[in-house]
Amino acid sequence: RCSPSMDTNPVKESFQGIKGAIQTKDTLKNVTILSNLHSIKPLDMCCVTRELLEFYVERVFKYREKLSLQISRAVSSISNSFLALQRTVQPCKEHNLCPCSEEATDATRNINNNYEELEVQSAVIKSLGELDVFIAWIDKNYHQETSTA
Amino acid sequence: MKNVLQWNPPEGLTGVEVIYTVQYFIYGEKKWLGKPECKNISRTYCDLSPETSDYEHQYYAKVMAIWKTNCSKWAETGRFYPYLETQIGPPAVALTIDETSMSIVLTAPEKWKRNPEERSISMQQIYPTLKYNVSVYNTKTNRTWLQCVTNHSLVLPWLEPDTLYCIRVQALIPGPPRLSPPSEKQCVTTLKDQTSAMK
Repeated sequence: RCSPSMDTNPVKESFQGIKGAIQTKDTLKNVTILSNLHSIKPLDMCCVTRELLEFYVERVFKYREKLSLQISRAVSSISNSFLALQRTVQPCKEHNLCPCSEEATDATRNINNNYEELEVQSAVIKSLGELDVFIAWIDKNYHQETSTA
Repeated sequence: MKNVLQWNPPEGLTGVEVIYTVQYFIYGEKKWLGKPECKNISRTYCDLSPETSDYEHQYYAKVMAIWKTNCSKWAETGRFYPYLETQIGPPAVALTIDETSMSIVLTAPEKWKRNPEERSISMQQIYPTLKYNVSVYNTKTNRTWLQCVTNHSLVLPWLEPDTLYCIRVQALIPGPPRLSPPSEKQCVTTLKDQTSAMK
């Protein structure tokens, strides 16, 4: 299984600066985008990570111009960090070590469905507001992999 | 992960009896929930630890002030994520000493429990990347050195015999770093050098 070392600190530092502002803009408390990440099995981690990195780059960070300058700048920095994380995970795919089980595909489809059920601006803000959940999930799972390998 | 909501009384109401009501919201669920023990209370805090014990979820809380026939708007917190925002406590520290070395055994603090019978969960299980900053103070030379360790035990070799050393340890959760308060200072004296004692 592929478990590259994922440096998430740059993302955390950038997100820390906009967390309060972006989560305050999200007034839809009864809806989440990244549901059930903690039920993802270890075997599916690489696939879900790759899919979610792409989800954020393609469907979330692209809309940063619609946000305030301060938030948009931070999101640009986060976006660059995500591109670096994508490059980190890419070899796993190239070596066929990043399989997508049916469950993993369902999980990422759910996340995209959650996104599509909202109006774009709300979906982008909510997804950005949940970056801490995604990063905490990466930290928890990729650390445990590398330390026990 | 003991999570207590605290607030300040409204301004301009000194001397007036004010009571408060608290509600909380689990992000992604449907509605605000009340806590009976925090309804119409006069204190300015409410322990929401049981309600927020699932550290993988996120939460909001809000409080309203009521006085005479008036009530305030709700004052609401931001989104609270225990996993990333809890403040960790110091580890338990056990020392054993001989002439020129000291062994230190560290035990990570435990997660808050509803009651003593509940199964203990070490913070090490929740935060696998938990580290410790060990501070060692030599009272004779008045010098301190720091060591960052990731496992639970370490041995300090090459200490000076018959010398008082004081130890303090902080737990550290990396990125964004959260440092615990230091543990209680513990001081031990290394044994006298037996070879010089026999001359």
